[in-house]
Amino acid sequence: MASSRERDVSSVCISDILSDVMAKVPRDAIWITNQAHENVIAIAFFKELTAVIFTNGAVPAMDAIDKANIKKIALYSCDLNAFDIAGRLYTLGLRGSY
Amino acid sequence: MRELSLHILDIVTNSIEAEASRVILWLEESVEKNLFSITVRDNGRGMSQEMIDAVIDPFVTTRTTRPVGMGLPLLRQAATSCGGELRIKSRIGKGTTLTASFLHNSLNRSPLGGIAETVVNLIIGAPDVHFLYGHRTDAGCFTFDSYWIYARMAELDCSQYMLVEPAQKWIMERLQSIASTA
Ligand SMILES: Nc1ncnc2c1ncn2[C@@H]1O[C@H](COP(=O)(O)OP(=O)(O)OP(=O)(O)O)[C@@H](O)[C@H]1O
Ligand SMILES: [Mg+2]
Repeated sequence: MASSRERDVSSVCISDILSDVMAKVPRDAIWITNQAHENVIAIAFFKELTAVIFTNGAVPAMDAIDKANIKKIALYSCDLNAFDIAGRLYTLGLRGSY
Repeated sequence: MRELSLHILDIVTNSIEAEASRVILWLEESVEKNLFSITVRDNGRGMSQEMIDAVIDPFVTTRTTRPVGMGLPLLRQAATSCGGELRIKSRIGKGTTLTASFLHNSLNRSPLGGIAETVVNLIIGAPDVHFLYGHRTDAGCFTFDSYWIYARMAELDCSQYMLVEPAQKWIMERLQSIASTA
């Protein structure tokens, strides 16, 4: 949905509890969530995350996507559930954030 | 957040940081009205309308220089995801009233969590603030005044820390007595 330049990935986290992500996730992480809310994008920006993957086909509102574009955060909407997305990333060698 | 008490901790802390000398926390839980609401009223420094608009916008630029709290955007999201809303009324120099409402039966609604502990910790942490906590359910209501602690300190000639557990116990007993059977 929103594109970004090449970036490192430190780790991956799955959470729908935004305050946990705010508190715990390291920078450059990929965040998997089903919460397609603008607060997710704001937190991804503050925490300097590399990308957000929305599960089960969730898509944020257009103005939130615009904000992500401005802030250069990569957004992906994926039809798979969190388990299957995480499984694929795991086989690529990525590991959990916390 | 996992518990609504954490949101309450956050917004009452905002009131204290806004130099309020009086804070009222009012919780209303009604199965009959299908409503769960949290109201915090303070006499702190207040906010202009522009400021209110800014603090509920998670992208406001002052937040990009230092990651200030997302407290109010997260509370608003919690309320709207439960069919409710966040309302803020404020006047500069007068104070602020903030209400977060939730549909009582919303599956998205986090549990209230440790409210007795939250209230007592807030009171102990801000001894100069007069704090009033009221809680109503369909079965009844009660209030807890921070004076409860200060009166007993004088009476028993002990420190406020000795009263943390008794105060929590007092609140928990009242909570039990108004717990909905529905
Ligand atoms: N009751 C209030 N009275 C006056 N100003 C308030 C009140 N509540 C919030 N504010 C203003 O809104 C801002 C944003 O509040 P919010 O809780 O979202 O983040 P924060 O308090 O700045 O950060 P944190 O909660 O992480 O300490 C506060 O910094 C304050 O300026
Ligand atoms: Mg705050």
